[in-house]
Amino acid sequence: MSELLHDPFVQSSVLPLLAGVLAVGGIHVLKPVRGLAAAGIGAAFLAVFALVVGVPALPPPSSMGKLFWAASAGVALGAAADGLGVKDRAGSALVAAWLAASLVWIAMPALDSAAGVLTLLVLLAVAAWVAFGRMPGRAEGATAPAAALLALALAVGGTALIGSSASVAQMALALAAATGGFLLWNWPVERHVWGVSGQAALGVIVLLAGVLALFTQTQAIVLLLALPALLAGRLRRHLPVPDTGFGRAAGAAAVTVVTVLPALAAVGAAYLLGGAEASPY
Amino acid sequence: MKKTLFAAALFATAAVGAMAPASAASVAYKLDPAHTAVVFIVNHLGFANAVGRFNAVSGEVAFDKEAIQNNAVTVSIDTASVDTNHAKRDEHLKSPDFFNAKEFPKITFKSTKVEKSGEKTGKLHGELTLLGVTRPVVLDVTFNKDGVSPASKQETVGFSARGTIKRTDFGMKYGAPNIGDEIQLLIEAEAVKA
Repeated sequence: MSELLHDPFVQSSVLPLLAGVLAVGGIHVLKPVRGLAAAGIGAAFLAVFALVVGVPALPPPSSMGKLFWAASAGVALGAAADGLGVKDRAGSALVAAWLAASLVWIAMPALDSAAGVLTLLVLLAVAAWVAFGRMPGRAEGATAPAAALLALALAVGGTALIGSSASVAQMALALAAATGGFLLWNWPVERHVWGVSGQAALGVIVLLAGVLALFTQTQAIVLLLALPALLAGRLRRHLPVPDTGFGRAAGAAAVTVVTVLPALAAVGAAYLLGGAEASPY
Repeated sequence: MKKTLFAAALFATAAVGAMAPASAASVAYKLDPAHTAVVFIVNHLGFANAVGRFNAVSGEVAFDKEAIQNNAVTVSIDTASVDTNHAKRDEHLKSPDFFNAKEFPKITFKSTKVEKSGEKTGKLHGELTLLGVTRPVVLDVTFNKDGVSPASKQETVGFSARGTIKRTDFGMKYGAPNIGDEIQLLIEAEAVKA
């Protein structure tokens, strides 16, 4: 059992998928408030982080430690906001403030170079898009934003893997798997609302991309190719599917598949730029 | 012979250390990067040991042959110079998983004490800073030789040092214990009179 838990593949796929299914399911069964189910994604991510990397010290000495505590704050903030019924612009502003502060905190050691500052500015722009691109808590289906998170997490994970940044890759793929757990709960019927907790989970992938871009030699610029995944909501609205149970299920599946395509483009670009050879440890 | 032992201990510190205030009798030396090697050995999944080195090492030594307690060493290693003869693995070693070279570009050692343990051997105590974490370490040092080098015509001293650290003590937890926690250090160094 212990050996199984130490297997990087299990840590990045099966384990977070199960954790995601259980965490989202637990919240679903308890039915505390709308929008809180997506907090299961963040909770599963944090649990896997603690298992794989360990719980970092406080104050954290490195970017990965800061990432964990910033993500913890985001998950707690999202859950609290959803619990209090915060949504729409207030929810977006909350996520934007948390994400911007976290990015600046993580990026600080890299801000002694123009490249570091430029990278931070790009990350802040993406953070603004994530925070304000969709109003949290609206009664739209949760599949589209979850598919966007799945796609971005796959892009960061695949790019990090090619760039020999194993722990970032594992964490990003774990986030993708935990999101998969959430998507399973929302297919064929979309049961949950994407609240502030969901937006915070989207923010966590921006933080992971930040660590990758700022502190590794990975060709993280290719991640820009994955950003069209954030348009999944618009795609969903314009998808010509009948408003029936079957139509909605087919639409959700189609949106998920199409949303992942930009992520594949990003990973493909990383492969072309960096080669497929991985670190042999 | 006593002099050479003192020199051994002193220059062993140079492998990893930082220079403290030296006595009036101490002589300043600088590590010769062309003849200095900081090598590490780590267990790889139980199958074999992986070997790596740092290619950019600098340091200063205050050497007093008559008073070993006055000897002091400062050493600074460029983290990004890690070299295991495999580009992708080196890239990974520079990432936050291991040496985190962008956030922690230097590994430093500052000697605190030198103890005599044999005719040409000693124990070098010091503080090693890795990933921003400082921990005490002890290296076994052997003085090899001092005098004018027939190659460079400069006053030169040479020593060897060996030691073991636990990387998790410094917060480098990724992959442990599959990728060994204990790291063997092999240091071979020559220093020339500044």
